[in-house]
Amino acid sequence: MADNGGKKITLKSSDGEEFEVPEVVAMESQTIRHVIEDVCAKNSIPLLNVNSKILSKVIEYCKKHVAAAEAAASKASTEEGTAAAASVTKPSDEDLKTWDAEFVKVDKGTLFNLILAANYLHIPGLLDLTCQAAADMIKGKSAKEIRKFFNLKNCISPEEEEEIRRENQWAFEEEKRTRAFDAYA
Amino acid sequence: MNYLPEGVVELILSQLKNARDIASSTCVSKQWQSCVPYVPSLYFPRAVFDYSQRGNNKGSDYDATIGRMIAEAIRLEELVIYCPFNPSNLGTWLNLRADTLRVLELRMDGFGDKPGPDGSGTQLDCIRVAKRLELLKIWGVSLTAAPKWGVLKQLKSLEIVGATVRDGVLEEVVHASPNLVNLVLLSCEGAGLVKFELGRLERCRLDFLGQGNIALFLSAPRLEDLYVQGFSSIWVKPNHRIKTLSIAKNHGRVYNVEMGKLAEVQSLYLRGIQWSWGAISSVLQYASDVTHLTMKVEFCGNSETLLPFPEVDLVNFFNSHPKLLKFDIHGAMFASFCQKNSLAKVNSNFVIPCLEEVSVIVRSALNAEQKLNALESLLTHTPKLRKMVIRVSQMKNCNEAADDFFEEVCKFRLMNHRVVCVE
Repeated sequence: MADNGGKKITLKSSDGEEFEVPEVVAMESQTIRHVIEDVCAKNSIPLLNVNSKILSKVIEYCKKHVAAAEAAASKASTEEGTAAAASVTKPSDEDLKTWDAEFVKVDKGTLFNLILAANYLHIPGLLDLTCQAAADMIKGKSAKEIRKFFNLKNCISPEEEEEIRRENQWAFEEEKRTRAFDAYA
Repeated sequence: MNYLPEGVVELILSQLKNARDIASSTCVSKQWQSCVPYVPSLYFPRAVFDYSQRGNNKGSDYDATIGRMIAEAIRLEELVIYCPFNPSNLGTWLNLRADTLRVLELRMDGFGDKPGPDGSGTQLDCIRVAKRLELLKIWGVSLTAAPKWGVLKQLKSLEIVGATVRDGVLEEVVHASPNLVNLVLLSCEGAGLVKFELGRLERCRLDFLGQGNIALFLSAPRLEDLYVQGFSSIWVKPNHRIKTLSIAKNHGRVYNVEMGKLAEVQSLYLRGIQWSWGAISSVLQYASDVTHLTMKVEFCGNSETLLPFPEVDLVNFFNSHPKLLKFDIHGAMFASFCQKNSLAKVNSNFVIPCLEEVSVIVRSALNAEQKLNALESLLTHTPKLRKMVIRVSQMKNCNEAADDFFEEVCKFRLMNHRVVCVE
């Protein structure tokens, strides 16, 4: 991507590290966009909820997607004929999807922090991508396993839990079987 | 981390469709429980209730579960039911979500035209309440009586797989969905005539089983992709915009095809055991601007007798299809090029301007010399040829002639190894 002297913004992570990025990349975050546009020109924006490791990943995502959008836009305007343009942008769509798929192949902790960061910074594409990855990981899991996965406290009262189980008996059958095995293990 | 922002839980849940996952989510935490009513999709796979099999018939319990989950999903947009269910309950379920439902996919297991719960109409009539439906897909349905759907104005895509139909029923079904953009009827049988008109149809895929003669009459001015299998007589009103066309008949004969000039066609695929020569030549004439052509028709003839292709003049053929980029020929058509007169006309000024890829299937060693001459002609007169694939499938006469021919083909390949390959 061409760093051709466009305006730069400094983002400061919660642990004090500074990242200088082109403004257009930083504006992938709606939160940052509002700060830049509404709260008058700031050169350094502190992000108290995002540490340096996660912030660098977020910036990597934004850089890639801004670059992909720019490439698609310039190819569409220079290619003669829509058929040629369509056949050129399609492979790059797939490349981006492949890149996204690799991007979320991270450990659970990093994924969660990416979700929280994408939520805090209002980056819709990243939020969708990371939530999809999390959803894929919990498919087929029991309630107990999902809770364990997200490190959530079980706050449902035993009576209510019993009622839900009765209603959804069919979804818990497998769990009962594995519990029985656990008892013998 | 023991807390997820609310929007995040909703987003994660919205990616879950499997009813089992949704049910598990109800028990994760109060926060998750509160988000479950907002799931946009519910998918009940074929065996979703199978874990609970204990010998007693819990069919009614499962239907009650489906009903309860649909009732709780107040913003349900997509409902897919592959597991067995009692069709009489369908009306109740659809009534619950008529305001939000956009996608409905049902496995009917042969139901459909049996009387509805109140004894009248058909079991599919209740679909009429889902006025916002955009996509409807039904598997294994009996359509010998037309369902009364009124008019489903928002329905853009209709797919019916494995249906027994009666003449006229399809016309009524299409009549009830006038704004269809995509129509797919696969593995259907029972009709002798399929006739309809759709002003917005862009993609159409019709696959009818059986050896008999089925006729198709279709009028669709915006049609771009058409795939048909099983029809012996095809009439498409001209002034369509067909770009991709595939006509196949796996059993029986294609007698005629009328569709006017295929002005925008890019890709043409013809397949079948037997086509009348009139039908083939009509289609080839309509498709003079075609760029990708695949011909896999084995025999010609208008009756039980299977006849070989008549001679096709190589020069005339390529001159009348000047934009050909990719050409895939099955044995019978290739053999028709390889007639003495056809090859005699090839002079040095003849050029096949755009052809880049040719794929030929050779099935017999008959007229071996002519076949090789044809291959050579193709090579000499095609300046842009990048790739020629020769597939030599089981030779019909397994004797020396076949071996010799194969040797010649290999020699040909060696001489032109940059372009030719043999499989």
